[in-house]
Amino acid sequence: MAGTLLDIAMMHSDTLIARAREGDKSAQGKLVQLWYKRIYNFGYKFFFDHDLAMEVAQKTFISMHRNLAALQDVARFKSWLYTIAVNYCREELRKRKGVRSVSLHDLRPGESEDSYRWEESGSRHENPEKQLRQSELSDLLQQCLMELSEEQREVVIMKEYEGLKFREIAEALNISENTVKSRMYYGLDGLKKILEKKKITKETIGYEI
Amino acid sequence: MKYRPDESTLISYLYGELDAKESEKVQLYLQANHDELVKMKQLMGVQEIMSNIEDKEVIAPPVFMDEAPRARMVWLNGPIKTIIGIAASFLLLLVAAKLLGTEISYSQSELKISFGGTKTEQPVQQLQALSPEQVQLMINSSLAKNNETIADSFAENQKELDKAIKNSLALNSSKIDGLMKNASQASQEQVRSFVSNLQSENVKTMREYIQLSSSEQSKYMEGLLVDFTKYLNEQRKQDLQLVQSKISTMEQNTDQFKQETEQILATIISSGSNEVKKQSSFE
Repeated sequence: MAGTLLDIAMMHSDTLIARAREGDKSAQGKLVQLWYKRIYNFGYKFFFDHDLAMEVAQKTFISMHRNLAALQDVARFKSWLYTIAVNYCREELRKRKGVRSVSLHDLRPGESEDSYRWEESGSRHENPEKQLRQSELSDLLQQCLMELSEEQREVVIMKEYEGLKFREIAEALNISENTVKSRMYYGLDGLKKILEKKKITKETIGYEI
Repeated sequence: MKYRPDESTLISYLYGELDAKESEKVQLYLQANHDELVKMKQLMGVQEIMSNIEDKEVIAPPVFMDEAPRARMVWLNGPIKTIIGIAASFLLLLVAAKLLGTEISYSQSELKISFGGTKTEQPVQQLQALSPEQVQLMINSSLAKNNETIADSFAENQKELDKAIKNSLALNSSKIDGLMKNASQASQEQVRSFVSNLQSENVKTMREYIQLSSSEQSKYMEGLLVDFTKYLNEQRKQDLQLVQSKISTMEQNTDQFKQETEQILATIISSGSNEVKKQSSFE
């Protein structure tokens, strides 16, 4: 319910963006509260790494605060914000090439009851066993997502998990809509092959859960 | 012409972003092409599976908004900042050079960098040129002086050495005399004690020798006698054995002779009776 309300708020945040663009600090703060989770999750799915996702989210909102006044069209705020996030993701990826590191946050992945992430997980009131299996499955599928190329991955995340329209993705990535669709098609096709290779089907997932 | 939607159209159809007319065309196409329909279903299956990736819950950090971005000073911009940096470094170098007293000069194709002021070199006074004769004279005079000093020092050394030798001789002779006296006294006493010791030891050894020799001789004689008796006994035994063996051989010979004679006699007797029988039968 809270998620739905948040989505509605995000959909109708035009006046908020307009106020924030005019320098209203409270409006800027509310924008951060509204979009932080989305940008963090975009970064997390892109890197499968908590620290990098936090880094990208923070940089994105600092950049938003500095450059919001330059935003011409309020309706393009969403794609504009994702453009900033994608650019920081690519920058971090370039920095990370040749550097291997493990996030301390992910040494004990999952949101099981003995994890420090249990408290921050929204579904902690559910059946713990089911929650643990769901968390493990989520990580397994996230690993499949990481096997996609950088270009396909960012399109798949934006479309599949962030719910952007193909037009918005094209704006965010500054490419044609057809290129976005083509990347999406081959991204899904690639995921199909990866899932087949790992023997992950609807049936096995149903059994797992 | 046969309708065949491209990948973009298919993916738009999958996400419901096609208009109604285009969507209907794609639907008809999929109904007509079973393979494409299967592929679309597979992609939908992938969507369904991948939708199991959950969003991570995250708490947005508290936001502290700064005032509206301040206009940056002109000298904080990129290129001006670099130039100012270089100028500051150069100034720092100049100050350091001043403090260290650095001096750089270029003259006669020579670049000189010096620290802590210049050093003035004092000109070396050139000696007037000397003739070979003067040099020879100087050498000769110095040699003569040198010889004189060596001779003087040699004479002094000689005297000191003689004195030292005399002193040491006097000391040594007195020491030797004392030692000789002590040695002579000591030797007389030592000779006496030595002779007496020698005599007593000789007597002891002679006694021991005589005792030892007499006891050994008696032992030897006893042993000799015992051995001789043993020898005699042995010899007697051997003789007896020899005699016994001879007698036994003689007995054997006589027995054998007896048997042979008996046999001969028996044969003679038996042959004689046969002849008598033959004659009687002929008759």
